[in-house]
Amino acid sequence: MQALPAADAENPHARRATPMGWWLLAPMLIWLALFVVAPLLILVVYSFCSRDDLGRVVFDFTWTNYARVFDETYLKILARSVGYAALTTVICVAAGFPAGWYIARRPPAVRDRLLLLVMIPFWTSFLIRTYAWIAILKSEGLLNATLLAARVVPQPLELLYTPVAVVIGLVYAYLPFMILPVYGSAEKLDNALVEAAHDLGAGPLRAFSEVIIPLTWPGIAAGVLLVFVPAIGMFAITDLMGGAKVAMIGNVIQNQVFKARNLPFAAALGVVFTLLFVASYLALQWRGRRARA
Amino acid sequence: MSEPAAKRFPLPTGLRLLEWGLGAWTALVFLFLYVPIAVLVGYSFNTSKLNVVWQGFTFRWYRELLGNEPILRTLGNSLVIAAVATVLAVVIGTTGAWLLHRFRYRCARAIQTLICVPMIMPEIVMGVSLLILFRVASLELGFASVILAHTTFCFPFVLVAVQARLQGLDPALEEAALDLGATPLRAFWLVIVPCLRPAVISGALMAFTLSMDELIISFFTVSPASRTLPLQVFGMAKVGLNPMLNALSAIFVVTTVAFVLFTEHLKRLAAR
Amino acid sequence: MKMLRSLLPLTLAAAFGVATAAAAPKGGKLNLFGWSEYVPQAVIDGFTAETGVKVNYETYASGEEMLAKLLAGGGSYDLIQPPDYIAEALIKGGLLTPVDQAKLPHFGNLMPEYLNMPHDPEQKFTVPFMVGTVGIVVNTEKVTTPVTSYAELFSAANKNRIVVLDDGRELVTAALYTQGKDLNAMTAENIAGTRPVLAAWFKLIKLFDSDSPKTALLNGDVDLGLVWCGEAAILHNEDKKFRYVLPKEGAHLFIDLLAIPKDARNVDNAHLFIDYLLRPEVSKLVSDEFPYTNPNAAARKLLTPEQLANPASYPVTDRKLDTFRHIGDSGAAIDELITDLKNAN
Repeated sequence: MQALPAADAENPHARRATPMGWWLLAPMLIWLALFVVAPLLILVVYSFCSRDDLGRVVFDFTWTNYARVFDETYLKILARSVGYAALTTVICVAAGFPAGWYIARRPPAVRDRLLLLVMIPFWTSFLIRTYAWIAILKSEGLLNATLLAARVVPQPLELLYTPVAVVIGLVYAYLPFMILPVYGSAEKLDNALVEAAHDLGAGPLRAFSEVIIPLTWPGIAAGVLLVFVPAIGMFAITDLMGGAKVAMIGNVIQNQVFKARNLPFAAALGVVFTLLFVASYLALQWRGRRARA
Repeated sequence: MSEPAAKRFPLPTGLRLLEWGLGAWTALVFLFLYVPIAVLVGYSFNTSKLNVVWQGFTFRWYRELLGNEPILRTLGNSLVIAAVATVLAVVIGTTGAWLLHRFRYRCARAIQTLICVPMIMPEIVMGVSLLILFRVASLELGFASVILAHTTFCFPFVLVAVQARLQGLDPALEEAALDLGATPLRAFWLVIVPCLRPAVISGALMAFTLSMDELIISFFTVSPASRTLPLQVFGMAKVGLNPMLNALSAIFVVTTVAFVLFTEHLKRLAAR
Repeated sequence: MKMLRSLLPLTLAAAFGVATAAAAPKGGKLNLFGWSEYVPQAVIDGFTAETGVKVNYETYASGEEMLAKLLAGGGSYDLIQPPDYIAEALIKGGLLTPVDQAKLPHFGNLMPEYLNMPHDPEQKFTVPFMVGTVGIVVNTEKVTTPVTSYAELFSAANKNRIVVLDDGRELVTAALYTQGKDLNAMTAENIAGTRPVLAAWFKLIKLFDSDSPKTALLNGDVDLGLVWCGEAAILHNEDKKFRYVLPKEGAHLFIDLLAIPKDARNVDNAHLFIDYLLRPEVSKLVSDEFPYTNPNAAARKLLTPEQLANPASYPVTDRKLDTFRHIGDSGAAIDELITDLKNAN
């Protein structure tokens, strides 16, 4: 099993691409070239520029932006962002996998609707949702009131504007992106497989860990990708629920554009960030292939 | 393909227990997802304009909402942009995932990595560079620019979801269709598409949701005419978020949930 | 790949062709880039009803955001609402069209003390819109000792009870005030010199929030804040227990302006709109929505005694007030300092 979905070498029946295959793929390739590669190139060019007094980009050649990226401060921030994203991903797997699996096991008419119900909360404005969380987590909020009334805690918990609040916010924002792909791959499994495992004497836990999880692994891997990757660059939740006390890489880049008006440095951060991602992605795929070989 | 669980033989006790536990867990997850929504709906009836402390009950915000042109207009823009971007993202993402699965391309891995780049690129960096790109190409900002930008960060989500589904899909299915004389296009349409339906639906839901709630990339790519709801909402934060926005969210959530439950109910009646 | 190259211009043409065709016709409209609600909807509707000019309103959440989009070449706007120091930068960069005062019959309503200020000494490019300060807001129910200075705000007793603006320049300015230095002397040494002061302050701060610091105060999660006066005025209107104080050491005075970008297409409509906003009864509508200090003398006469008595909007004070100047690339040094200090916590 590999860690991330891979394009090639996955389907043993895949054929060498015919000219027709290339033609069909062309629209997506053009899209990628225009709206992903071209902006990336712009970014690379800008990252070697400097800024003028006003904040406009001056086209010269300098390495200073890159030298600054590898400053201890920014490396620490990057490490912290990865840490938060990883914790978020782990919680999302733990919470979202069983839910995705369970929804996939419902009768077809129920499933699609349950799926829709997973996403509907996120069609409301992010800011309004976040303010609802603030109302829940604040010191005189719903959660503390409930806990106090139930005598679970002797005094209100300090939750809001702490790292705990940030993680709650991140999990809330990304949980659906774990549930949906897990659902996508769990739905195609045959119940008979699970029952067979049971008939062969596997207890529910063993059936779960030895049959269900391996069979839905592509869905989990996709979910990990969809949660972990965007979570690293998240900034609004750290600002609103964490009190903007701890900088994350997303906040740093944001501030470079809006506050410091240093687009070249933001570009350098963006380039390094993207390269780090590409490198780790390719490394994981390479390991996955080796593991299979 | 799986049979609906209900039609099969009764499950053995151990599995029923597991099933029950999973059901309870899923209920908890839904609770987690909907508690903030309940709070948000509650506050839409709050008399306090500042939307922070509970003061009393009112319908005022619902009335004001109906007369608030900017909110309604930006909501309309957001819905149009999200719908078009979702359709484009589904087309590009689904065909892309299938082709990458079906054929061995040279530099497939490079393509795959590039696809994931919009997911990792910080929104602000992507927003600024797209704006510069549009300017270089002298594309005037408007609906087209926002839709192009939104599609770009949405389609990878569809593609990844569909790819996860394609892995382990029985290749014999398509072969069989081809052997029976179907053209590749018909085989794709009749065999592959129905198999991919669940993943396409979940991918489309993700794309729509991401587009509805995107702020930063939208900021750099909208014109006054194509301004989206999140931009309006964040601009309003300056004077205190008014409960009108809660009212809007409440109407939105309640009608969609009601619609979902209603069609569910209809289906059940029809099944009887 | 060959085929890709031949397809590329085609797609570009298709994508962009659609876009240009969709562009709206010229004339009879005004593209406004401003804060949401800073210009109330009633004002825009009134203007359109009177002149027939359709106002397209695009919003941002801070002056910096607006500048970032302008600098990246985005949009074509006819009217923007920059704060003073950003307007100064725009003037220096040659990015504004001069305002023709002959086309503004109501210009005389503005109070002279807000004209010809350092950001636009000849009053050629800008028109004052609203004025404000940055000061201390105190929940007097929870804080019984008087707080009148930055030093008293950032005292050990207030640990974890303070919200401040998430704005590096405002924080460095406050620190410079406590050191008795000029707030526009943003030299590398001066910025570095504020480090020990800010490091001590950061240990006491519960949260940083520029967008809506009033939320945490209203919720009771914090009891003191360093905030925009408009936030404090809204708090004061909500509950009289919130009191606004201008710090003893001195405070930042800011002026939000109206200005016309260089590449504006509807310059005449922009003038029409500026003059409309300068009318006393229109300016009053803005004050009703946004409780900042109104620089329009005629409009002030129309305000209710209660509005004028709000100490956050109209502070009666002999405090030292200073405006921000454009500080060039010192912004980068400030940002680095703040990032570093947040990281250390």
